[in-house]
Amino acid sequence: MTTGMEPIRFTVNGRPAAVAVPGGRRLLDVLRIDLGLTGSKEGCGEGECGACSVLLDGVVVNSCLVPVCQAAGHEVRTVEGLAADGRLHPLQAALLETGGVQCGICTPGMLMAGVAFLDAGAAGSTPANVTPMDAAIREAISGNLCRCTGYARIVEAIRLAAEGRVGAIAAPGSNGAMAAAPADGMSAPVAPLHATDVPGAERDPGRAISGDPGADSPRTLAEAYALLAEGGRRPLAGGTDALVQQAAGVARASRFLDLSALAELRGIRLDGDALILGASTTYAELRRSPLVAEHAAVLAELAAVVGAAQIQVRGTLGGNIATASPAGDSLPVLLALDAEIVAGSPRGERTIPAAAFFPAYRRTALAADELVLRIRVPVVPHRTVAFRKVGTRRAQAISVVVIAVAWHWDDGHWRDVRIALGSVAPTPIRARATEAILEGSAPTAEAAALAATTLAAEIAPIDDVRATAEHRRAVAGRILHRIIRDAAGW
Amino acid sequence: MRPVPLAVGRSVPRRDAAAKVTGAALYTDDLVVPGAWHGVTVRSAEPRARLIAIERDPAFDWSQVVFLTAADIPGENVVALLTDDQPVLVADEIRHVSEPVALIAAPDIETARAARDATRLRTEPLPPVLDPLASERTIARYEIVRGDVDTALAAADLVIEGTYRVGHQEQLYIEPQAMIAVPRPEGGVTIHGSLQCPYYVHTALGRALGLDPARIVVIQEETGGGFGGKEEFPSGLAIHASMLALRIGRPVRMVYDRHEDIVATTKRHPAVVTHRTGVMRDGRLVAQDIDVVMDAGAYTTLSPVVLSRGALHAGGPYLCADVRIRARAMATNMPPNGAFRGFGAPQTEFAAEMQVNRIAEALGISPAALRRRWAYRAGDATPTGQVLKSSVAAVEVLDRAVEASGFEQARAARSDHRGVATFAGHEGAVAPDGVAVVGGGPRFARGIGLALGWHGAGFTGSGEAYLASIAGVDLTAAGSIRVLTDSTEIGQGSRTVLAQLAADALGVPVDDVEVAPIDTSVVPNSGPTVASRTTMIVGALVMRAAERLRAEVEARTGRPFADSYAADVRAHGPARVDERFAGFPGIEWDAERYRGDAYPCFSWASAVAEVDVDLDTGEVAVRSVVQAVDAGRIVNPVLAAGQVEGGTLQAVGYATIEEMKVADGRFLNDRLATYVIPTALDAPRIDALFVEAPFLDVPHGAKGLGELPMDIPAAAVVTAIHDATGAWIHDLPATPERVLAAILAAEEAGA
Repeated sequence: MTTGMEPIRFTVNGRPAAVAVPGGRRLLDVLRIDLGLTGSKEGCGEGECGACSVLLDGVVVNSCLVPVCQAAGHEVRTVEGLAADGRLHPLQAALLETGGVQCGICTPGMLMAGVAFLDAGAAGSTPANVTPMDAAIREAISGNLCRCTGYARIVEAIRLAAEGRVGAIAAPGSNGAMAAAPADGMSAPVAPLHATDVPGAERDPGRAISGDPGADSPRTLAEAYALLAEGGRRPLAGGTDALVQQAAGVARASRFLDLSALAELRGIRLDGDALILGASTTYAELRRSPLVAEHAAVLAELAAVVGAAQIQVRGTLGGNIATASPAGDSLPVLLALDAEIVAGSPRGERTIPAAAFFPAYRRTALAADELVLRIRVPVVPHRTVAFRKVGTRRAQAISVVVIAVAWHWDDGHWRDVRIALGSVAPTPIRARATEAILEGSAPTAEAAALAATTLAAEIAPIDDVRATAEHRRAVAGRILHRIIRDAAGW
Repeated sequence: MRPVPLAVGRSVPRRDAAAKVTGAALYTDDLVVPGAWHGVTVRSAEPRARLIAIERDPAFDWSQVVFLTAADIPGENVVALLTDDQPVLVADEIRHVSEPVALIAAPDIETARAARDATRLRTEPLPPVLDPLASERTIARYEIVRGDVDTALAAADLVIEGTYRVGHQEQLYIEPQAMIAVPRPEGGVTIHGSLQCPYYVHTALGRALGLDPARIVVIQEETGGGFGGKEEFPSGLAIHASMLALRIGRPVRMVYDRHEDIVATTKRHPAVVTHRTGVMRDGRLVAQDIDVVMDAGAYTTLSPVVLSRGALHAGGPYLCADVRIRARAMATNMPPNGAFRGFGAPQTEFAAEMQVNRIAEALGISPAALRRRWAYRAGDATPTGQVLKSSVAAVEVLDRAVEASGFEQARAARSDHRGVATFAGHEGAVAPDGVAVVGGGPRFARGIGLALGWHGAGFTGSGEAYLASIAGVDLTAAGSIRVLTDSTEIGQGSRTVLAQLAADALGVPVDDVEVAPIDTSVVPNSGPTVASRTTMIVGALVMRAAERLRAEVEARTGRPFADSYAADVRAHGPARVDERFAGFPGIEWDAERYRGDAYPCFSWASAVAEVDVDLDTGEVAVRSVVQAVDAGRIVNPVLAAGQVEGGTLQAVGYATIEEMKVADGRFLNDRLATYVIPTALDAPRIDALFVEAPFLDVPHGAKGLGELPMDIPAAAVVTAIHDATGAWIHDLPATPERVLAAILAAEEAGA
């Protein structure tokens, strides 16, 4: 089944690995089945539970949402690679010390999220106050569900490790083929890891998913256009939607067009009076970009409430746009900012206003041969933007209502008001009747009340598994009312 | 003689933790089974229908798969449990959505799934019953009567009524159901699975496969959470995998994905609980009239026992002379509900505690003072007439939780402006999400709520006597000490706790005690790992077996066991002592009349929750829960605190966000993205406090712990929402939608 395929090469826990499998196979399956590294667990297959978390070049990802083609040439680290030189990683030792392990099924993923947090710099800091540290740790593991512990002892373990207050514990003897592999890569040369090295893998072939899609990873935009024109390929960026849909059996692709290697889609830059965001810009990049902070801070604010760490490092702005879900968190913000989407094809580039980009439920203005290349956000001086996502819980949530409001003050009056919402209609929408109420008016109680009731009437939400239409109308109106109160200072 | 430190009372490190942090621990789906085929299940799509035919698409190549229906069941078409009403596969009538109808195995998972997709059920729809209140089929019914409730209600100064509704809750263990069946060379089958109750599976396999029990071996692999969800459900899955494996003559793996796990497995029973409570103006409790209706779903499963526990706990831990509790579990065409931590008590104790808090408000008495007045003391009798002889710590846990949480101070500080504003509106105030709030009207309101609860330890009534569990301790030929029980480690720490208990009884260091793997060919039937019974019941048997083994060895060697057992094994060979449960002294239960000692003893808990409510969206942030618990002597403080912390968070989820949405007999939010449980950011600070009132009829003094933390925090949270907003919510969960609707109703009433 795998003959004739070029092996995909990457490193796992410091050892070279090569697997001849379809490029669309999930990294999780490659690790567990092809390489016999079963420490990473599958709890949901859709990036919700985090049990499959691994580090990809040091960044924590859900390995169920990474096609293995995107690991090619990169460094993967799994729970089996944490212990080194016969000693447990400090976070492993800390979990033993605090009692942060119960059933253990979330533990490997929790460890990888915790290690990513520690490696990102928390280890060196000595917090004056534990509360911000506690909140930062909780945010770092909010993409990892635990049903046993209530989280407190896991948070405590990460804090102990961050503060360097964990005693060394010898690693127990391991029955895993790879568990004792040195992680630093500095010791004696290690043997490469092939699927055939793993006892049992060849004898249990039925676990492998034979129907996994293939993948093409073009290096240039021209190659990407050519492959897209051939047809039969589904574009894929961070995989946070595409692999979920693949696993759920909706919109099943036979082949992925992996856009992650395209330099043309990357980067954040200022171009005259606009901020240019490459389509491959991730939420994590939005959160840490100084240019975004200076010119469109609301994008960082929104990025912080999309999914959790594992989604933020993988999900892209271009992917959110092309998926065109009415619940896509970034879309109302782009609408409120008067953003434009630059699409490209062999025929050239064209610029489409965000407000015209989503014609119908999960439809876009893209032609079949077009890709989203970048997003152009006009930089408007003195603009105020408010944003609020109401979700089903405090992290890793799909939105119930998302609202973004942009305006500037003109002598105490609202000007250039843009109100955009998500999850309240078949597409992300601008609330133009409500905008008209506020445009030119002062932020009075009367205006706020009228705007809130107008908005509740103007939107067209539905009942779904997250909320009823009635609740969405009430919440949308009340959040807008709060935004007006906050803006007015009363 | 070497001094050996006692293990009980110390936080001995969890035995399974090291393998779990390195990834070396092997769960069922981690096992490599050469030559295994993959099994999938064909399921019904309708809540009720007559099965006319199972049609297979002729375009599919069926020669590459094995396809089994009810006609292929070697034994009885029964998943043996309390009653025999649940079939292994539908033979005639489909009784719920996602019911198993046929089984398919193929050499690879893709082919098995393709075969499933190529299968159609031809059915004739029948009218389903989806509302338990409209159902005419009773699965179980109990009436508990003490005194004369009608006369007492008529004489009360005030009768307060309330109806409370709670929905389904999904156990949501992070490891989905998984089972591997391997045919045995001499006939029979070995099961490797994620499960709580090896002998439930063993018994069910014998019935459905028509196999000699000696040819069946059940092995529990590392299990990624259970919470009751792997109590009875795995029996059916093990039968499915075994049928396929025996037919093919090869191992068969069946591992559910999350979607299948949510749609096809049991949930916590939804319930409607109605209270009429008679009180006097001075705060005396004079009458409790309680009606409980649970939705059993399509089959009996464990519903009679769940309902029984729910009914027995329905009045709360309060002394009342005139009580009537009527409870029934009704059959519907919903997927069957089953075991989930708390097992009927969370439903009825939520209602009981909401009722007490509403009465306290109506009487203008502090909810803590009212409970202190009503709560059981030693010597009091429960509605079944059980006299609580000892280990009664209701008031102690109440006082501890109230004091540690500053409950009265927080209430007093807020009593002036309840339901109006709180910290928002003050310049520079900080909202719970850390965002500074500047000026403006109220955005958030803070509230606090209290609850008190109890949980009968072990099986109800004569259940433990009927089980007659056996636990053993042996000295192996290799000279090691082993604990022999079928109590499964599912994260709660039983592997560690049982070793601690055996070590102290033998007088050896805890590291010298091994715990035998959970394999029915090795360990005796010490009963299911359920009902908070492992530490109290099985632990006591282990200690008694260990004490007898120690006495035997010391009689032979004339020296302390610790110093002589190795020599004893060399001289006399291996030794084993089994201890069988023989009842607790003075415990009498009349199952016919529902009178007598329902449980050997009770554990007690009190919870105080503090919440912030977003007044614009109805979102509730639970800030903290203090839970004070008496579970008798605490064997391992860290493990015990872990039980309280985890159970509390499950209760917080139950209270706020965990809502199973249902339409036409179908679960709508059947993915992890849509059935949401709390993340680390949703979790409150949880303070687990222990009051230790030992149970003196077991050598270690420990009572049941695992379920208790789940029982009452929901009522504390929902009462805190009331404290914050002035709105009473009667239904669980108190979703933002319900909270906002209540706020809007309160605003309208005030406008």
